[in-house]
Amino acid sequence: MILDLERFQAQARPRWNKLESLLAALEGRPDHRLNPGEAEQLQELYSQTAADLNRVTHGALAPELRQYLERLVARAYAELYYAPPTRSELWQPRRWLRIFTAFPEAFRRESRYFVLAVLITLLGCTFGGLAVRYDPASVNVLLPADYLRNPGQRVHQEESGKKRAIDSVQNEAQFSGQLITHNVQIALLAAALGVTFGIGTALLLFENGVLLGAVAVRYTEKGFGLFVTAWLLPHGAFEIPSILIAGQAGFYLARLLLRRREDRDMRQSMREWLLLIAGLAMMLVWAGLMEAFFSQHQAPVLPYEFKVAVGAAELILLTFYLSLIGRKKAAKPRGRIALETANE
Amino acid sequence: MSSSQATRLPTTAELTIATPEGVLFRLPLAGPAPRLYALLLDTTIVLAAINGVGYLIYWIFAKAPGFGTMTTTLAEFAIGFAYGALLEGFWNGQTIGKRLFQLRVIDQSGLPLRIEQAWVRNLMRVVDALPFAYLVGGIALLSSPQMQRFGDRVAGTLVVRETPVAPPAEEVWSKQKYNSFMDYPALAMRLRRSATPELAGLIQDALRRRNELAPYARREIYRELAAYLQSEIARFPDELVEMLSDEQYLINAAGVLFGHQRLSARA
Repeated sequence: MILDLERFQAQARPRWNKLESLLAALEGRPDHRLNPGEAEQLQELYSQTAADLNRVTHGALAPELRQYLERLVARAYAELYYAPPTRSELWQPRRWLRIFTAFPEAFRRESRYFVLAVLITLLGCTFGGLAVRYDPASVNVLLPADYLRNPGQRVHQEESGKKRAIDSVQNEAQFSGQLITHNVQIALLAAALGVTFGIGTALLLFENGVLLGAVAVRYTEKGFGLFVTAWLLPHGAFEIPSILIAGQAGFYLARLLLRRREDRDMRQSMREWLLLIAGLAMMLVWAGLMEAFFSQHQAPVLPYEFKVAVGAAELILLTFYLSLIGRKKAAKPRGRIALETANE
Repeated sequence: MSSSQATRLPTTAELTIATPEGVLFRLPLAGPAPRLYALLLDTTIVLAAINGVGYLIYWIFAKAPGFGTMTTTLAEFAIGFAYGALLEGFWNGQTIGKRLFQLRVIDQSGLPLRIEQAWVRNLMRVVDALPFAYLVGGIALLSSPQMQRFGDRVAGTLVVRETPVAPPAEEVWSKQKYNSFMDYPALAMRLRRSATPELAGLIQDALRRRNELAPYARREIYRELAAYLQSEIARFPDELVEMLSDEQYLINAAGVLFGHQRLSARA
């Protein structure tokens, strides 16, 4: 025992009380803003209380006092070292609209993970396609739903409009809601499975690729290539890229976690990951609407060529969006000029 | 260093934070049980909210039930993630459930969490909730030294317990003016030197909880403690000890252990 606890507490209690009331006042304010006088006072009381804590820490005989001071120091530390975003920053619509340009920017910055996702999916496609091509019996294993196993029957049903559960705009709307949430859920899972060092993400992408390849080959073999393109492309043009972007986010996360702790810029990388997810969620909303309201209408109502054209147009638009938006064409030369003038 | 803590909360994990000024402080980490309770409460609230929103939407979209269902499905999904993310982000790391169970999410450096972190840790629930009932998250939490589920690891966050801590009140032994043990400075010194923090904490707790103990139990505990101190730590003269009740003996011992600097001056 180094110090006389009672006398020590009696002497120090006024400053603890002062710190406590200052903290209570600050924590009650929405933006936690300090005015200069308060900042100075907080700094002073914080260092005094921290010194008090250091004194109690060594004599292990006052656990309550130590706990109390630790809590006080922790609160003061948080107030001193943290600048919360102010309300005006958060409610600027322009900030939120920036997501539409920030998403393609993030996509391009991390494009190598996108390439990886594409490669794994293509691998799956090849596997699925080859399996169906050379071992037709594998269809029963690869394609879970029976309607995919018998293309002719399915096409006939679709074209005659029979067996269509979705027969009104109301039902289409309901269907689209389910599609969107289901797809976002799967995409989120792919992105979050990055914590398995990307293994889970890779498996999910591969499985997706196998299905895609198997369906494509199966329908093309039976001569329904145009039908299946028209059926899948209008929503697939957004759905498949967004799953690939989810894979991209997953691999990005995996790479981040494999990096040494000191080399991580967590704040920046979390923002990047969230941007990719926000972007793919928006894409999936569109894909879900297309799938329910457009893709399900077949030949007599909508000619296949038209559907394919719409899908292709979407694909081109998306490519333009992801590769061009947010790219500052004029900024570069202007920046150089500014630098040059600054140098002069 | 944490031995005094260990006597009272033996199974608690804690995080030690070193500030730039070289101050160390510890934060008690929340275990799986309170977090699960908070989660259940939050889930209930979310379900209630979804139900409420569902009725509202049903009423608004009375003419177009399909669109109503679509909106409800999407709203349910969005609320499921946004509830945790927005509340934690804007309410300094607390949801309603966490506030009631006195938990708070913080950055692992001891600072309040940022909004991005709140979103990341809540979106990561899709993995932590696998395959059912947060099994993956629970195992991750129990196998992590800082009790982090995957979402916490990725977002760099921790969940801490925030039981309100009041400043310690005045103790019994500080009220008495005269402590007969002080007449024997050598023995008092020995008591002070050889009493471990655990033993000191035990004496302190025994005295503090005087009124919570049943009279019989109190008598027994005080008798055992006093006998132990007298026989193993510092043997005060019999003529003094005979005059003291066991309780007074412990109060004097606590006075020696926790108070009065003057002892060393007189010795």
